[in-house]
Amino acid sequence: MTTLAPSTSEGAAPPPVRRRRNRGGVSPALRADHNLARSVGVFLLWVVVVVSIAMLAWIVLQAFRDTREILSSPWGMPKSFDFTNFSTAWNVSGFAMATLNSVVTTAVSSSVCVAIACPAAYYLSRVESRLTNGLSLYFIIGLGIPAQVILIPLFVMLDKVHLTDSLIGLNLVYIGLSMPFTVFLLTAFFRSLPLEMEEAAALDGASALRTFVKITLPLAKGGILTAFVLLLVSHWNETLLALTLIQSTEKYTLPVALISFVQQQTYSGADWGGLFAGLCIVILPMLVIYMWLGRRLTEGLTLGMGK
Amino acid sequence: MSALTTKLPRRASGPAEKPGRRPGGSSIDRQRRKLLVPFVGPAFIFYTVLFIVPAFAAVWISLNDWAGSGPMTFVGFSNYIQVFQDPLFLKSFGNTLLLLFVVGAVVFALAFAMTLVLRDMAAKKIVRNVIFFPHLINALVFGVLAGFIFNPGGMVNTLLKPLGVSEPPAWLAQDNIFPLIMATMVMTTTGYFTTILMAGVDRIPPYFYEDCALAGATAFQRLRYVILPLTWDVFGTCAVLWTISSIKIFEIIWVFGGSSGAGIPPTQSWTVAVYTYVTAFSGLSTPAYGAATASAIISLALVSVLVVLLRRAMRRDAIEF
Repeated sequence: MTTLAPSTSEGAAPPPVRRRRNRGGVSPALRADHNLARSVGVFLLWVVVVVSIAMLAWIVLQAFRDTREILSSPWGMPKSFDFTNFSTAWNVSGFAMATLNSVVTTAVSSSVCVAIACPAAYYLSRVESRLTNGLSLYFIIGLGIPAQVILIPLFVMLDKVHLTDSLIGLNLVYIGLSMPFTVFLLTAFFRSLPLEMEEAAALDGASALRTFVKITLPLAKGGILTAFVLLLVSHWNETLLALTLIQSTEKYTLPVALISFVQQQTYSGADWGGLFAGLCIVILPMLVIYMWLGRRLTEGLTLGMGK
Repeated sequence: MSALTTKLPRRASGPAEKPGRRPGGSSIDRQRRKLLVPFVGPAFIFYTVLFIVPAFAAVWISLNDWAGSGPMTFVGFSNYIQVFQDPLFLKSFGNTLLLLFVVGAVVFALAFAMTLVLRDMAAKKIVRNVIFFPHLINALVFGVLAGFIFNPGGMVNTLLKPLGVSEPPAWLAQDNIFPLIMATMVMTTTGYFTTILMAGVDRIPPYFYEDCALAGATAFQRLRYVILPLTWDVFGTCAVLWTISSIKIFEIIWVFGGSSGAGIPPTQSWTVAVYTYVTAFSGLSTPAYGAATASAIISLALVSVLVVLLRRAMRRDAIEF
C-alpha cells in the first residue's frame, strides 16, 4: 500500500546527486509533503476504497448462494454460479415487472423532462430581462422544497383525476419534480457555451428557432447528456413518491418492490438469496451507467457549484 | 466526451459573458424574445401545476382538519400546535436535527480531511471514483444490508467473536438503530461531498502553492490562508446541499435493519419525513392530512431558515482567481 504513495524514502541523498525525475512536470512546490498524519490518511483512504469494492463484490457473490448457505457462513463464497436466486426474484417475487416499470418510468420521465427543460433553460440563459430573472428565481425555489411537503397535495390532486396508482401519474410527478434542477443545470450549461456560432448563424439569416435547433442543441449535447444521466439516476432511485402513489403490485417500481419484498420476509421467513438478487438488480444498472458515463455525472454535479 | 473537456476550461476561467447585453444582435434578440411562450411555457406549466400549486395547497391543507375524504374543517394553526405537542413528532424532529448537524459535521470534517489527503495523492482519480459511487445507490440498499451485517448471527458478530466479544451489543435493538443509521449515513455521503470539495480545491491555480513554498509557509498556513479561503464558497454550497437533502432522508430509515413487522420502523428512529408519511398513509389510524402536512411545512421552514442563515454566515467577499 505504501508503495502507492509517491516515493517516500529518498532521504539521505548519495554523493553523486541524481536529481529526482520530475513526475509529469509538477513543480516541487506542488508535491505532497510527507509526514505521518498524511501517510495514515492515505492508508485509510485505500482501506475505504478496498472495503467499498469488496462490499460490492460481496453483494454480487451472495446473490449466487442460497439462503441457508448465506446464513451459516456470511463470509463464504458461492460454490457455483447458479442463477436460481435471480430467476426466483425475477419470476416469483415480481422483480421482472418492477424492473420493467422502473426502466420505462425512468427513461420516459427523464427524456421528457430534459426535452421540456432544454428550451426553457436556453431562453433563460440567452434573454436577460427582469422577467427572465424572475423566472429563473421561480424555478430555483423548487430546489429547496423537500418532496414530503408536496406529497399529500399531489396525492389528492392526482386522485381527483384518477392518476394515482398509475405509472402515467408517476411519470408526470417525476417530470414536474425534476424540473427545477434540470432547468437550473441546463441554464448554467447554456451560459457557458460560446455565443459566436449563434451570432454567425443569425447573420446568415437563420431564425432564432432554427439557430437553437441547428446550432445550440448540437453544441450542448454534452450538457444535455449530463442532465439526462443525472435524471436517470435520481428517477431510478426515487422511493418516497413511488411508495405513496403506487398501490397495486403490478405497477410497483423497483424500490417499492424491494420494500414489499423485505416486508414479506417477516411473514414468509427470510430469503436472503432472493434479497441479494434484488439488491443487485437495483445496483447494477447504476454501476453500468457510472462506468460508462461516470465523468459526466461527477462533472454535472459540480457544474455551477462554485459560481 | 471531448466536447465537454474542451469547454471546461472556458467555464472555469473568467466570468461568463453576459448574454443579451451586447449592442449588436438586437434582431436575433428580438426574435428570441418572441419565443418566450413556446420555449418556457411547457416547463413553466409542468413545474407550476405539479410543484408550486401543491406547495401552496400544502400550506392550505396544513391549516385544516382533514382525513383525505369527507369535509375539510378550517382549524387555523391548531395542527401546528398539536404536532408540536406530539412526543412522536418531537422525537422525529430531534432525529432530523441530529442527522442534519451531527452527521453533517462529521461528514464535512471527514470530507475535508479526505480532500486534503486526496489533493496530491497518487491514483486520486481511482479513489475519487470509488468513494463517489455510493451516492448513486438507493439508500434502501444500505438499510437492507445493515440488517444483514448487524443481525445476531451476522457478519459483525462473527468478526467480533474471535476478538473475545462474547456478548455483542444488540445492534438492531430499537434504541440502537438510530446511531447505526447515523453511522451509515456518514459512510454513504462522505464520498459525495469529498468529490464536490475536490472540484473546488482543484480549481485553485498551482501558482498559489508555489508561492506558499517560496514564502516558506507550513502546511497549516497553506491550509489556513490559501485552501480554506479559496474553497469557502464551495463549502457554502455543500452545506446548503446537505441541509436540503438531510431533511428528505426517508428510505434508509424505512427499511433499516429489515422489517419490524408492521412495515413501519420503530419510532425511535423516525425522521420528519417518516413522520409525515406515516401520519398520512400508514393505514393504521385515520389519516390526518392536516397534521401530516403541518409537519412537512415545519421541516420546510427549518430548511428555509437554515439556508438563509447559512448564506449569511458563509458570505464573504468573492475572491476572483
